[in-house]
Amino acid sequence: MRPSAMLQLVFFNVTNGLIIGAFYALMAIGLSLILNLSGVINFAHGGFLVIGGYLAYTLTPYLGFWGALLVAPFLTALIGFAVERLLIRRLYGRDPLYSLLLTFGLAFIIEDGTRQIWGANGLPFSVPVALTSPLSYQFFFITGYRMFMVATVAIVVGLLFVLLRYTRIGVRIRAGTLDLETVAALGVNVRALRSLNFAVGIFLAGLAGVLAGGQLGLEPTMGDGLLMPSFIAIVVGGVGSLTGTLLGGLLIGVASGLTAVLFPSASEAVIYVMMAIVLLVRPQGLLGEEGMFT
Amino acid sequence: MTAGQQRHLAVLAAVWAALLLAPYWMPLFGGYTALGSRVLVLGLGAMSVNFLLGFTGVLSFGHAAWFGLGAYGCGLTLKFVGASTPLGLLAGALVGGIAGAILGALLVRRRGIYFAMVTIAFGQVFYYIAFQWSSVTGGDDGLRGFARQPLHFELFQIDLLHNDVSFYYFVLICFAAVLAVMASILRSPFGRTMTAIRENERRARFLGIPIELHIWIAFTLSCFFMAFAGALYALVNNFADPRMLHYSLSGDFVIMAVMGGMRTFWGPLLGAVIFVVLQDYLSSVTVNWMSFIGVLIVLIVLFFPRGVLGLLPQRRTA
Amino acid sequence: MRVLEIDNLTKRFGSLAAVRDISLKVETGELRAVIGPNGAGKTTFFNLVSGLFAPSAGSIRFDSRDITRMPAHQRVGLGMARTFQITEIFPELTVFENIRIVTEVAAGYRLRPWLSRTEKADLRGRIEELLELAALTDKTDRLVGELAHGDQRATEIIMALALKPHLLLLDEPTAGMGDQETYEITQLIRRLHKDGKLTIVLIEHDMRVVFYLADRITVLDQGRLLAEGTPREIAANEAVQNAYLGQAA
Repeated sequence: MRPSAMLQLVFFNVTNGLIIGAFYALMAIGLSLILNLSGVINFAHGGFLVIGGYLAYTLTPYLGFWGALLVAPFLTALIGFAVERLLIRRLYGRDPLYSLLLTFGLAFIIEDGTRQIWGANGLPFSVPVALTSPLSYQFFFITGYRMFMVATVAIVVGLLFVLLRYTRIGVRIRAGTLDLETVAALGVNVRALRSLNFAVGIFLAGLAGVLAGGQLGLEPTMGDGLLMPSFIAIVVGGVGSLTGTLLGGLLIGVASGLTAVLFPSASEAVIYVMMAIVLLVRPQGLLGEEGMFT
Repeated sequence: MTAGQQRHLAVLAAVWAALLLAPYWMPLFGGYTALGSRVLVLGLGAMSVNFLLGFTGVLSFGHAAWFGLGAYGCGLTLKFVGASTPLGLLAGALVGGIAGAILGALLVRRRGIYFAMVTIAFGQVFYYIAFQWSSVTGGDDGLRGFARQPLHFELFQIDLLHNDVSFYYFVLICFAAVLAVMASILRSPFGRTMTAIRENERRARFLGIPIELHIWIAFTLSCFFMAFAGALYALVNNFADPRMLHYSLSGDFVIMAVMGGMRTFWGPLLGAVIFVVLQDYLSSVTVNWMSFIGVLIVLIVLFFPRGVLGLLPQRRTA
Repeated sequence: MRVLEIDNLTKRFGSLAAVRDISLKVETGELRAVIGPNGAGKTTFFNLVSGLFAPSAGSIRFDSRDITRMPAHQRVGLGMARTFQITEIFPELTVFENIRIVTEVAAGYRLRPWLSRTEKADLRGRIEELLELAALTDKTDRLVGELAHGDQRATEIIMALALKPHLLLLDEPTAGMGDQETYEITQLIRRLHKDGKLTIVLIEHDMRVVFYLADRITVLDQGRLLAEGTPREIAANEAVQNAYLGQAA
């Protein structure tokens, strides 16, 4: 292959990878938020993604695409909030096994419920035409929608980081991640904080669902394929570090994209290989800290 | 012998009687012998998970990986290496067990949530390999083309393939053998260090117990048991399939253990019985069986975390 | 011989120095009390000596051996045992089972899949000895989590003893106890000290216990060594009195 064509192929795949990576990062960050503050491995995260997508689908006829995009994640977060308040909250003192099992059971309920309400077959999700046209002839693969997705993820994640750094709630969440007892001793309402944190994490999942729906269409099982990469993004980036998770998501996305150039069928496997390498070389993850969550 | 011990022995005798006579009483309830074999094997899987989870207190959620490895190890051996049931079982157990030993050595320093996540992810690696390497493993369709081989003894043969009842007893013997090993480990000084680690890890460390080493040993043992169960499962079905590696199966095993009673020895078997029966029944009665199982899991976790056997007033084992 | 020799021990958590330049020496057979106001760094000091974490600077020598970087479970193997401020036992096991685990580990049986009859009998004898020492023989089949606080603490102490240590670190053994329980634990510690020729280092807040038991007292304040001496010397020491600011002295 000519060098410039090769380069273009690489560029194509790296960009593709970044787009996928942005997506993984979005999911993983939500998962990470919940894991860090509450110690809950949310197996139902994929389920909330599905809810987000399907809710957007249902709302589109009334609110249009943009309205649905705005409202569906909030509604999903509300559902998440209710779930945390009613169910998960009871399990905080106990062995983390139980919250893991609970979310596992919830995932079943959500998948089946979705099938019940919206049918087992895939549903198409219509996206405004303005977004689907490619940006330019040269970069035909970078459709407007994909750019839009990346932009949305960037804005939302950026907002989240700003929130965590500069607002009072954000600081409390970060402090709580490091030492919940001290935060509680300082008079912060830890239970409310956890509920809010959970809702934020679910918001991100719901948003991911809307975006995924626009890209891939809707299906009751679509959350499954994204759950594992999210876990791996967290492991690679470092448990306990949000920036690490962001980095992890992007990295595995890019790795996946690049591998697609050379070994197309292995592009999925490569993220597992990356995880294995990280575990061998730097077990706490790229930006993780020694001793977190041992 | 105290009254408590007498009662204990009576219950044990009843359980074994039920297991020995299963091919005869199961049909009365609409069951069939092959189902019994299946339940025994899944129960063994759940007990292997419990060995680590309930008795050592280690959160490992990727155990299906070893189960599946055992299944594929057995199947591949029977298909490509030699038509011998014992060989298949041994190979399956070794493959899964050794893989577990290696992985365990890498992971054992990190525990809790981290361990759980990584074991799940590793399970998925094997799932993926089984899926993609279809030339060897048969991919999505699963590994076929092997079957239970008759057992050859000097004077006679026992047909395992066509005779469900003989096969059931074969499985029961294997089950009993593994159980004997498990029980004796749990009652040994080493088994008591496992309990110590579960009860209070810090105190265990300050007793001079090298925690990581002991957890690694417990982990490796449970992987061997799990892989053996997986190998048996391949024989039950004459078939091995990527779903035997998937984390949802790991979840099923954990649920069986929790449902039956995590801190008890026989609980997971009871959980397996309940789970299999429920799943069979529900999927024939309603399309939404998944929701039912999901709700059941939620209810158990919230209200019956000690499981069925945990409801009985009892002293913990060992 | 010196059982414990500590040089310039320092531990920093971020910018906070919990323990700063502490040096002390404990002789064989001594009973040393470590006292000081809250936040003085006493438990951190114990954590460093027992190996819960490594120091930022300084060294620790145990029986003339440098153990500064040695992991906790190895220190136990060398003959150091400790108890914790919040009793650390196995709450859902019986007293007997708690002691049994320790005696098995101490006898080197921790990896054994089975024991011979003689081995079991020997262990049983040892367990009964220990139970008698702490007057727990009649409670041997009770779950430790259900015992009174004093009995739990006594169980923890004999568990530490089962390791056959020659240095015993006791972190606030009478914390949260009433007069009667305090008396009993104090007598237990005294028995251990006189009979076993054990070296004991003890963190305590209750001054009656300190003055009753201690051969020497080390006073810590804000992470530093404030004073050291015999009980009489310490009682007369003004700086110590000031540090306590009128707390029970």
